[in-house]
Formats: sequence, C-alpha cells, structure tokens
Amino acid sequence: MRAKRSIPNTGLRTWSKVKVAAVVLAATTMASVTMGFAVLGGVSSAAAQSHKIGGSVSVWAEWTSTEQTSFKKALVPFEQQTGVTVNYSGKGSNMDTALDAAVAGGKPPNVAFVPDPGTLDTLAGQGKLQNLGPVLGNLTKNYGAAWNKLASYKGKLYGVWYKAANKNTIWYNPAEFQAAGITKTPTTWQGLLTDAATLKAAGITPFSLCTDIGWPVADFWQNIYLKTAGATLYDKLAAHTIPWTSPSVTTAFSTFGQLVGKPSYLVGGTQGSLANKYPDCVDKVFPKAGSTPQAAMVVEADFVVSEITGNSANYHPGTTGKGGAKCTTDPSKTPCYNFFAFPAPAADRMNSTAIQGAGDVGMVLTPTKQAEALIKYMASAKPGEIWAHLGGFTSPNNKVALSSYPDAVTRADANELVKATSFVFSLDDLQGTWEPMMWQDMLNFVKTPTASNITSIEHTMQSQATAAFKKK
Amino acid sequence: MTVVDAHVGAAVPATSVLPGERRSWRRHAWSLAFIVPAAVWLGVVVIYPVFATIRYSLFDESDTTFVGLSNYKSLFTTDSLLTAFRNNVIWVIIFPFFVTLFGLIFAVLTERIKWSTAFKTIIVMPVVFSTTASALVWSSIFDINPHVGAVNAAVQAVSDWFNPPGAYPISQSAGQSVASLASAGVRSGPGGSLVSTATVTPGHTVKLGLTGISPTTLQVLGAKRALVPTASAGTITGLVWRDFSPAHPLSRTKVYPDEVGLPDLHLTLTGTNGSSVASTTSNGNGRFTFTNVPKGTYHVSIDSSNFASGYTGLFWLGTQSLTPTSSLSQTAQALLSVPLVDFAMITAYLWIWSGFAMVLLGAGLAALDREVLEAAKIDGATEWQSFRRVTVPLLAPVITVIFVTMIINVLKVFDIILNMAPGSSQEGANTLALAIYNTGFTGGIHTGLASAIAVILFVLVVPAMAWNLKKLKGAKNS
Repeated sequence: MRAKRSIPNTGLRTWSKVKVAAVVLAATTMASVTMGFAVLGGVSSAAAQSHKIGGSVSVWAEWTSTEQTSFKKALVPFEQQTGVTVNYSGKGSNMDTALDAAVAGGKPPNVAFVPDPGTLDTLAGQGKLQNLGPVLGNLTKNYGAAWNKLASYKGKLYGVWYKAANKNTIWYNPAEFQAAGITKTPTTWQGLLTDAATLKAAGITPFSLCTDIGWPVADFWQNIYLKTAGATLYDKLAAHTIPWTSPSVTTAFSTFGQLVGKPSYLVGGTQGSLANKYPDCVDKVFPKAGSTPQAAMVVEADFVVSEITGNSANYHPGTTGKGGAKCTTDPSKTPCYNFFAFPAPAADRMNSTAIQGAGDVGMVLTPTKQAEALIKYMASAKPGEIWAHLGGFTSPNNKVALSSYPDAVTRADANELVKATSFVFSLDDLQGTWEPMMWQDMLNFVKTPTASNITSIEHTMQSQATAAFKKK
Repeated sequence: MTVVDAHVGAAVPATSVLPGERRSWRRHAWSLAFIVPAAVWLGVVVIYPVFATIRYSLFDESDTTFVGLSNYKSLFTTDSLLTAFRNNVIWVIIFPFFVTLFGLIFAVLTERIKWSTAFKTIIVMPVVFSTTASALVWSSIFDINPHVGAVNAAVQAVSDWFNPPGAYPISQSAGQSVASLASAGVRSGPGGSLVSTATVTPGHTVKLGLTGISPTTLQVLGAKRALVPTASAGTITGLVWRDFSPAHPLSRTKVYPDEVGLPDLHLTLTGTNGSSVASTTSNGNGRFTFTNVPKGTYHVSIDSSNFASGYTGLFWLGTQSLTPTSSLSQTAQALLSVPLVDFAMITAYLWIWSGFAMVLLGAGLAALDREVLEAAKIDGATEWQSFRRVTVPLLAPVITVIFVTMIINVLKVFDIILNMAPGSSQEGANTLALAIYNTGFTGGIHTGLASAIAVILFVLVVPAMAWNLKKLKGAKNS
C-alpha cells in the first residue's frame, strides 16, 4: 500500500529506456526483414522472365482451408513471372450467391471460378463476361472439344476449366475381386452384372448402395441414363425439353432395376440399403482397421478417395498393396482401392467416353491486363501440375503431364476426364427447385423397383419438373 | 376491460367510483401506455401474419394470380400431403393418450417413494434437452445395425438365445435365400433345408456343392481343401463343399484343387418316406460319413438350422407399413399405411414429454384432498380401486388439460421428424408442419400451397385451443 504510492523516478527512466530499446529493436528487425525480402525479390525477379505487368488481380473461387493453400501454391509461378499480386478470396459453398450479389452490385472480382456452367451461361447472356477466344488463342487447344463446348455460350468461349471431378467411377475392393477370381474389371453393363453374379457365387455381396439419402442414387441413375441415352438426350432431359415420360427415361429405370431389383446384390438388401448412410456405405467396401469389407463395389464419384484413405493409411491405390504385396481384405495389412469406368451396355458402346462429373470454370469479369494474364496462365499446364502434385486434384487440361499425379489411380482418373468425348454436369444439380423431390422419387424407385412403379414415378417426376421449369 | 370500457365510453370502471373524469383518464392513459407496445408487437408478429397467410393461400406459387381454393384442392389430392394428414392422425391418436398415461403413472409412482425428487428430476430432464439432440440420439438407438443400435442389440440378445444363428447364416431380410445356395447335386428342400437331388445307397458316395458362402465365414470355421469322398461298404460317405473356384470362377460341379469343404454342417440321412435315419456333421475338409446304414435308398439333407440367420436387425426407422397396403394404389397407401418409423419417433417423443406431463400431474396430485383418499381407505378400497375410483376422477381436470395441450403440441410436430427419420423415410414420415417447411422454404418455395397447409393446421388446432381456454376460464371463474 505504501510502497506503491508513487513510482520512483529511477523506475520511470528505466522503463522508458526499455521502451525505446524495444522500439529500436523492432524497427531494426522489420527493416532487415523487409530488406531481406526485397533482396530475395530482386534476385528472383532478376532471374525470372521480364514480362512484368505488376498491379493486382482479384480472384474468387469456392476453395477454402487446405484447397485454398494448394490453389495459392499453384499461383506462385504466375505471381513471380508477372509481378502481379493475386488477391484471392475463398467463398466456400456460397460462391454462386456471392458472385451473383457482387455482379448485381456492380463490384465483381476480376476473375471468378464457379462450380457450374449454368452461372457461366447466365453471366455471358447478360454480357458480363469477356470473350476469351481472342485472349487465349492457341491455348484453347489445351482442352478437348467437349470441355470448350461446356465453357462456351452461343459459340463464343467464356471459360477456362481448372479443377474437375469424375462421377463416372465405380470403386471396388481389389482383394474381394481377386477372391472371386475376377481378373479383369467389367467394360460393359452386362459384364458388370455377370461379375456381380460371380461375386454372389463367391459369397461376396456385390454392391453397397448409399440409399439413405437421394443424391448418390440420382448420380447412379444419371450415369445409367448418360450411358444408355447419350449426351445429347441427357442435355435435353436436363433442360426439360424432353419429358420424363420419354422411352429413354424408362430404359434407364429398367436398366437400373436390373441391379436394384436384386436385393441379394445389395448389402443389407433393400431395407439395409435404405438405412445405408453416406459415408458409412463407402466404409462397407473400404473399412477401417478392425472390420472386414461387407461388399465389393460402391458407385461414387472420385471424392470418395479422401474417405478411403481417411479410414486407414494402409490403403494403397491400384491392384497391389503397399510394397507390392497382395491385396488383403484386412485393413490392418495391405488393403487396396481402385476404380473402373462406369460401363455402358454393349449396344451403347459409343457412350462409353461420355462422362458425368463436376468442375470449376474460370471466367474474366473485368478485362484488365492482369486478369487476362492470369486466365492465360490458368489455361496452361503449370497451375494444374502444381496442384496435381499436392493431391486431391484432377485437371481436364490435356497438357497437364499425367506424371504430375501422385499415383496410377489418380492418373487413370484424370486421363478419363481429358479423353472425354462429352462431359455433362450432374443432372440433379441443374434441376433447381425440384431437386429434393427428384431425389425422393429416386429413393421411391429403389424401395419398389417394379415396372408399374416406373410408370407412376415418371409421371410424378414429369409434373414436378414442369412446375419447377414453368417458374424458371 | 377497464380500458375497453373507457374507449367505448360505456360503463363505469369496475374498480373506481371516484368522481373526476380527469383523474380516471390519467389512470387509463398509463394502462394504455403499458399495453400499446405489446399490442403493436402482437399485431405485427401474430395478427397480421395470420391474415396475410390466409391471403397467400388464395394465390399461386409466384404470388401473382388469384387461384381461389385451388391450393386447398391440391392439398387434398397430393399424395405426399395426404401422407402428412395420415401421419398427424396417427400421432394424435397415439401420443396424447400415452404421454398422459405415462405422466400419470410416473406421478403416482414417484410420489410415495424415497428419493422422489431425484427420480422426478431424471424423468423431467429430457424436457429441457434440445429436441434435435434427442432426435439424433434416438436415431442412433434405433440404428439397424445391432452393434450400434441399442434396441436391435437388445432384441438380438434375446432372440439369439432362443434361435441362435447357424454356422452359415442366410439373412432373408437382406434378400438372401437358402435355395440360391444350391449349386451341384442339391436342390431346395422342405422348411428351408437343402436336399440331395439324387438318391444314394450304402457303399456309394454323394457330392453336395453350394455357392454363395462368404470367404470370411470359411476362414472363421477353418475350412480346408475339399477332398473327394471314397466309397465304403455299408456306409454312405459324402462331400459338402463350396462349389466356387477363384481360378475358374464360372465353372460349377467340378471339384477344383483351390475349392474348400464346408465344415460344421449338420446333415441328415432321410429315408424315402421322409423319416430321418441318421445324422452327422461335416469335417474341415467337408467330408461326412453315415456309418452302418441298412440297405435302402436315401436322400441326404442339409438341415435348415445351419442357415438360421439369427436376428440381423430390424429397420425401425423405415416406412414399412404395419397395415397390409402394399398392393393398393398410391393414394390408398398414402391414406392407409401405418409406417414403422412413426412408432419409433413417437417413442422418442414420449421420452421427451412424459416428464412434463408427470410434473403437471404431480402438482395435481399434491393438491388433492388427502381426506378423500383416507376416507376411501377406511371404506376398504384397495390401492388400485382408490386410484381408479378416487384419484383419477379428482385429477380429471388436469388430465384433460394435459391431453388437449399434447394434442396441440403433436399437431405441430416437426423437428423430431426432420432429425430422426432418415432421408429415405422423410416422405413417408411427413407431417403437416414439415410439409409447410418443405413446400414453402425448400425445394418448391410454393408460398400459396404452404400457406394453405398452415391455414388447415390452424383450423385443426383452433378447437383444441378454444376448449383449453374455455376450461381455463371456467376454472378461473369457479
């Protein structure tokens, strides 16, 4: 009490001395660090090409957290080469909404990557996008015709594809296939059913169907529709220019019924499938240590790889386990994972290279020098190769060296995307407001996969689609 | 009432007889000042929306064209909304009765015992939990997998004690059948068994091949290479084996070197009249022997007990109907099926709300006149009689209030269905409140139809509400 009444003069002077010393130290450190960076920057810029533009460019995309880190790494050569600062903002699943608001408000970013071509079409129709044909020149050859078509509106190119996902995949446990003596994965739908029968004879349940919720079933059905009807009819159905009561739709349902109509082919039967949640359904084929697989195949997009490798670090891509050992069903030893392309019926062979998937397309909203330089960089192989190397990424750019991918399975996955003769987006995501109803209709089909139910489901879907598209 | 009277300028204020208009007006001004904010709030948040909803229900989904009663018409013709009606009916019939009953039982039981406060607290606790959290916990309790779901685990423990699974369980609920196992030399037999196709006489051998046997099962049972049987006089020897070779996956009947026998299978030798003559079990190589067989022709059968599946777990959260409606039209099914998931959700909801009913009934019990009960006891009434004839009638007002309140509560049931029923059961478990959410806020954004459903729900709730108010007012006046 008494001791603290006043601060002695000596203490104050000491304290101010400390303060001054601290400030000087901080300033020196900062100066040296800044000088260090300047030196480094000077060295690297001297070593790099002299296409210096400087300035900055604002980029929006949906990638956040680890994906954001990977994307930023992919942009480093661009920043070094051109001296342009990239201001990236990751919007997560709100990307479309955020971009809509920004465009309407008159303050859009320079470059934006959107997860659906519908947004590209809308913005191009409103005249908000820069025509990229003259900007890219020969770089447009880096993408197949199917990809450029999807990024075009009324014949003009407005987008550059960067990251893509492949839904044309059926993931299987190679150990189970080997136990059933299946040496080659099926290439036709009939082959798939034959292999399923062989698995059944070996006492292995062929499929784990994720039917607790509607979208995996919708994706499965859409794959079948694409393979039986082809990309042209698929696009027409997605745009609701042909009705859901068309014969092509009935064919797709009957084909689907060849599989879901056999409850013994599904793990848990029909009831078990309806209770089969995602991602537990993936764990039934690629279990964690302590369990054994309950089924041999799961029909899912390539994003299941992170689920598989998350279950156990032992999972090795391909048909041999870690260190070349034989694939085991026991996850604590040398389990494997692999995929084969979703097969078309033999009669519809030409649709084999039609792929259903998803992707992010980059567009230029404000034509600045920096934005054009960036979009040209994104159309080159470099950014794709960098992220490919980091994993969790596949690019449809045919100049991206397949050796950039970390393993044979990802390479095969990317190769499918690049070689696609047609690429379509998920039909359910293009349906807008009646998408949840469409999912429920698909679930109802799995519950009762009879021919008479197909007719009533088709009529229901047609009336739901008509109502939704009338509002559009 | 005083304020209203002042406005109308009618009768003298009930409380004051003071002369001097200025003084009473100032008093009313203060009352007004306190009531007006609340009245404005009530008007904006409750009264205006009620009329606005009625107005929306008469317009179409984009809120532009007047469509009159067509939304109400589609309400009564859309299957998914008829399903919602039906489910609300099921909830209203079952839930209020049982919640009141359980509340009464708990109230009576916890009244007399030691630690009654502790027990009452435990029973009431679910009322304060978030319904969403309770729904998620209960959906895990009802999980189809007996290793995850407590209900299926309990049923399995009891069921497997009476009907233990065989060495080669075949689950019919998973779509499997014993008949599909038959591959070489066997066919489907009576009662879920398998029988040899050919007859066999002593001194000869028989081969029975099965497919669809899982490699995991064989590993567990220690199956070894299938060995072809050798004949011996006076005995019938045989091989029962897994007729699947990974090296020759499409070939059947032949016994390949990489094929294994089926150990621990119970086999019976049956005579031509069907009577069983002998029984035996197969060894690790799939070999079995019937010794000292008298002359005659026999069949070998693989007992159905081998394929008993045990209890594999019921899908409690599924929309399987308890009434036989599978052959009816969609609309008839929407109106008449009684899905199993409703009962699972009602159970969870009873767990949540019984405590509430118990608290109210406990208060009612505490307010009971002890003398009446003692008089009944003196008159020689048993516990049960005094409960039935004295306690319950005296509690009748409280019981009916709880009953009606729960009817109102259950007509609005929403969050437990959204969170507990799996995606595949959402449509079958639909209720009116959930339908408002689904049509008005997700998927369709059909404000007209959603408003129509809201109006119908309001119409259903109003009688119960009015009844409750009447009772409350009556109780106040008496």
